Amino acid sequence: MNSIYGSYREKLELILNDLTEKIEDLNKAVKDARGEGIYEHLTARVKSEESMREKCRRKGLSEDERSALEEIHDAIGIRIVCSFIDDIYEIVSLIKGFENIEIVEEKDYVRNVKPNGYRSYHMVIAIRTDFADCMGRNPGKYYAEIQLRTIAMDSWASLEHRLKYKKDVKNQQLIVAELKKCADELASCDLSMQTIRDLINEDNDNT
Amino acid sequence: MTKILLAEDEKELSRAVQAVLEAKGYEIKAVYNGKDAVEAAQEEVFDLMILDIMMPVMDGIEALKEIREGGNYTPALFLTAKAEIEDRVAGLEAGADDYLVKPFSMAELVARIQSMTRRSREYDRQELVYGEVVLDLKEQELHNKSSVRLAKKESALMAMFMKNPGKALTTEEIFARIWDGEEGDMEIVWVYVSYLRNKLKAIQADITIDGEREGSFVLCPSSGQ
Repeated sequence: MNSIYGSYREKLELILNDLTEKIEDLNKAVKDARGEGIYEHLTARVKSEESMREKCRRKGLSEDERSALEEIHDAIGIRIVCSFIDDIYEIVSLIKGFENIEIVEEKDYVRNVKPNGYRSYHMVIAIRTDFADCMGRNPGKYYAEIQLRTIAMDSWASLEHRLKYKKDVKNQQLIVAELKKCADELASCDLSMQTIRDLINEDNDNT
Repeated sequence: MTKILLAEDEKELSRAVQAVLEAKGYEIKAVYNGKDAVEAAQEEVFDLMILDIMMPVMDGIEALKEIREGGNYTPALFLTAKAEIEDRVAGLEAGADDYLVKPFSMAELVARIQSMTRRSREYDRQELVYGEVVLDLKEQELHNKSSVRLAKKESALMAMFMKNPGKALTTEEIFARIWDGEEGDMEIVWVYVSYLRNKLKAIQADITIDGEREGSFVLCPSSGQ
């Protein structure tokens, strides 16, 4: 079977590596200046054939390049896991300063928490490339989704994802409510850790 | 339904009290001496206890002392034939919340019971509201646009603020109430106020806690609202 990304598959890898490198360079620069990086770790991926096709079907789109690269915006995905809540916003503003990118969409689920307790910062960016895209534009325009969250938010999302509870069982409501409580507890810890860091920094500034 | 333990050895009086209170919708468990009262208090959950002081086998004061020693703080009302101050003091010291001198009117007994159960209900009040923010005391949750779950002392501190909005509470006052009898540095008050400030901000609250380290703190509407 042909790739859903057609001949653009390799380009996606290229753009992903380039973007990852930019963010890693940013981290290095911050680390050199402050002695401590700006994030904990980062994962980068091109969405698998299988899940991209599944997403097209779910959205009622034809399984082709145009759907995968133009209609859907997370063929390229980067997840940045931070130590503290404030780091999320700092990285967001630094990414906005990158050359050749444009912010397409921002969803702040850290402040506007999803009803199930999910917290994360999502941004879709458009990257300008010196090669053409599937729409024939040159310079080309490729989309990428960047997700930013703390270690605690990431751990909740990963664990929640692994709990394959049946959506129709009668205690589903109870499970969802309990999972939300876990999310709200972890969020509380995140805020306490952030506060402790602020207090330590204040102390250091005063001495 | 409010459930009351009645320990009164005079059968006739016991029956009369039981009849009146049941008519008022209370559920009554009647026992006739102090020892049975202790056993009943250990086995069942009550909202209120009415104990006669002068009872066979074990008197009411001894019984209540034993019940309290077991960590049971259910509100208790003593019935006493003696009007001497010493007896009343002894009863209150044993852990009673109120007393009635015999002979008493049933109307007064009912009124006192209502007052006591109301008080304990208020004490158990589940939610405090200020501005748009709700503190759920049972779940230790702070709600507005989103929710966070608080640690025990954060919840207690937030409740203290929400019961006293607009009042300046000193660091010393807060420490004495929330860290009741604990050794330690009063700096902890500043840390907890800082936690609450950030958590209020995170749920996009329209209220905040004003004040400076080591000073007084006031819960008030946040500026710019």
